[in-house]
Amino acid sequence: MGIPLEFYQIIAQNKILFRFIYSMIIAFICLIIVIKTDRLFRISSHQGIRYFRNAFFFYCIAFLLRIFIISPNYFSLAKIIFEFFMIMAGFFLFYSLLWKKLETKKDLSSLLNSKILLFYILTLILVIFDYLFGGYNFMFISQVFLFFIASMISYQNYQIKNKKHKFVRLYLVVMLLNFLAWSTNFIFANFLGGRLRFLANIYILNLIIFLIFLYGVTKFTRKKKKI
Amino acid sequence: MAKKRERLEVIKDIIRSIRDNKNIKPTRLLYASNLSPQMFKEYINELISKGFINLDIDDKEKKTFSLTKKGNDFLEEYRIIEDFVENFGL
Repeated sequence: MGIPLEFYQIIAQNKILFRFIYSMIIAFICLIIVIKTDRLFRISSHQGIRYFRNAFFFYCIAFLLRIFIISPNYFSLAKIIFEFFMIMAGFFLFYSLLWKKLETKKDLSSLLNSKILLFYILTLILVIFDYLFGGYNFMFISQVFLFFIASMISYQNYQIKNKKHKFVRLYLVVMLLNFLAWSTNFIFANFLGGRLRFLANIYILNLIIFLIFLYGVTKFTRKKKKI
Repeated sequence: MAKKRERLEVIKDIIRSIRDNKNIKPTRLLYASNLSPQMFKEYINELISKGFINLDIDDKEKKTFSLTKKGNDFLEEYRIIEDFVENFGL
């Protein structure tokens, strides 16, 4: 049994409203994740938690800005800033899995250090290219590539930690879903433009992704165990 | 080769040693922490300044360490942090 056709018709009739609600829900989820991980970061000063939090802080800003974008084909300042935060959020999430292999000493800032500076430059280049060519293709391709590698890293983590840490399996799933979501976004934008049914399914997929992140964060910031 | 302990793990080990050995002496804690004397001193000073542990000196000038409530809370939170970091692959 699939999603009833009436559901898509309701969305079609209230496109702006649904996009507003969708963006607000995701921004709210991201905000909860940032708040819930704050205590853990303050106690530990752990760089991985720091980059993870940065990712969701940037996603939160991106989805709030998304409300002001009328169409990806029209130029607007909101579109440029949205894309900047969206790509950077992806980079932060990706780097939260990778920082241990690259950082030898603790950087003072997680928003401005030599490695992150490289991501800022890359992001600016991608945003400029998308501005020049129109649409979001450079963002889509970069995120497809990022989440492909992130999925591979998560698969390695899954193989090593699966027995002791059960959530690594779900984290691998969420990385694969991210890869799928960005791939379908790219396909939708280039080959299936205007098909609301596909767009609605991507929205649902994105909601599931952020809800899984929220589930994980809630689960691991709530429980109290003595050692 | 043994894996190098992270800063957070070292702090956890020191605090746990103090919790498990009531009124532990500095020399014994140094052995238990498996650190060089220089590093040990740095960590201890940090933990005292953060209010995680106390350095108690009795009438006979005998020095021992004890755990504060804040230190005990950290130990409980450590497990949560460790779980979070490992499960999210951070």
